[in-house]
Amino acid sequence: MKKITVKEFFNTKKEDFLLSLVTKTHTLENSISSEYLNRPGLALAGYFERFSADRIQILGETEVSFLQSMKEEELYDRMKELLVFSIPCFIVAKGLSVPEQMEYLANEMNIAILISKMSTDKLYHALRKYLEDYFAPSKTIHGTLVDVFGVGILLTGTSGIGKSECALDLVERSHRLITDDVVKITYRDDVLIGTSTNDYGHFMEIRGVGLVDVEKMFGIQAVRIQKRIDVQIELMPWQDNMDYERIGLSDNYVDILDVQIPIIYLPVSPGKNVSVIVEVVAMNHILKIYGYDAAKTYTMRLQEDIQKKAKIRGALIDDKE
Amino acid sequence: MIRKTIVIVNKLGMHARPATMIVKAASKYRSEFKIRKDNMEINGKSIMGVMTLAAEYGSSLELIADGVDEEYLIDEIAGLFAAKFDEE
Repeated sequence: MKKITVKEFFNTKKEDFLLSLVTKTHTLENSISSEYLNRPGLALAGYFERFSADRIQILGETEVSFLQSMKEEELYDRMKELLVFSIPCFIVAKGLSVPEQMEYLANEMNIAILISKMSTDKLYHALRKYLEDYFAPSKTIHGTLVDVFGVGILLTGTSGIGKSECALDLVERSHRLITDDVVKITYRDDVLIGTSTNDYGHFMEIRGVGLVDVEKMFGIQAVRIQKRIDVQIELMPWQDNMDYERIGLSDNYVDILDVQIPIIYLPVSPGKNVSVIVEVVAMNHILKIYGYDAAKTYTMRLQEDIQKKAKIRGALIDDKE
Repeated sequence: MIRKTIVIVNKLGMHARPATMIVKAASKYRSEFKIRKDNMEINGKSIMGVMTLAAEYGSSLELIADGVDEEYLIDEIAGLFAAKFDEE
C-alpha cells in the first residue's frame, strides 16, 4: 500500500494548500495511507463507531465552533478519546485556530495540526483531487505510446521488434510521441493515462543510430506529455500457426490495472509498413466509437445476400408445374 | 490435383464464421486451394475471396486442391462442410 508521510506532504504541498503547521515538527512523522478525507463532526460529539481515523481529518467552521462551545473538561476528555486513534493529521480550514488544549494534546500524542487559509469546500476538493492522483494505481510497461489521430496507441512487443522505428515513422506522418520504451500507466477517472517515467524529454533509441531527441528533431507538435490509452497493438514476428484475426468480428481485450483495453496482435514481417496499419487501427477504432463496424457491416450484407439466394433457390425447386 | 464437389448443408450458408474456418484450415497446408462456384473461382486461403462467393444453403461448390498435401486439405475442408460448420 502506497503512503506518504505528513512531513513530505506538508513540505511539498504547503504552498498549494496554503498550509502552516500549528503543532511541533515532531508531529509530522505519521503517514497518510488513505485517499479519502473525513469531517470528524460525530467523533467530536463523542460518537466513535465507524470513525475513519486513518484519513486526514478536516475541520471546518462548524467543527471549530463546536470545539469552542465545549466546556474545558469536556473538551479535554473528548480530545483524549479522539487522539488515541492513529490519525495522520488534522487540517483546519479558513485559517481558523483550534482550542489550546487540543493543540497541547496533539503535541503529546504526535498528531499534526495544520492550518489552511483555503475555504473548507475548496480545500476539501483540492485535497481530494491531490490524494486521488497520488494514490491512483499505476504500473510501468515496456512499450511505446503514440497519439495517432487522437487515439492513444500502446505499441508493445519484444525488444528489437520495431516499436521505436514504428513510432518514428508515425511521428514523420504528423502523429505524436508520448514516450518510448517505458510507459507509466496510471488509472484515473476510469481511464488509463500513459506518461513518461521521467521528464528528460522525448528521447528514443534507434538501433544502429543511438539516442535521438524527437522533440528537437521534429518540433513541439510531434510530442505530448500524456495520453489516454485506447488500444494496445502487440507487434510480433510472423508465426505460421498463430491464429491471427481475419475478419475482426470478435474483439480481443487485455487487462491493464483492471481496465479492459482492446488489443490487436499484429504480425510483423520484413517490408511490411506497420505504421500505416497502426493508422488504420486508430481510424477503425474511431469508426467503432461512432457506431460503424466494418466487419459487422460486411458480414451482415453477406448474410442478407446468402439468405436471399437461398430463398430464390428454394422457390425454384418447389416450383414443379 | 484433386477436385471434389460438395453441397452446402448448413442452413445459414457460407457466412463469415464458416468462411473463417475454411480459410484457417486451408492455410495450414502447402497446397494451392481454390473454390469454384458457378463461374467464379477464388483462392480458398483468402477470407475476402471465400466470402465473395456468398454460397447459400443447397448450392454446390467445387473444391480444387493442388500440391503435396492436397488430399489432406480436401479431406479436412470437406469434413467441415459435412459437419455443417458445427451449425444447423
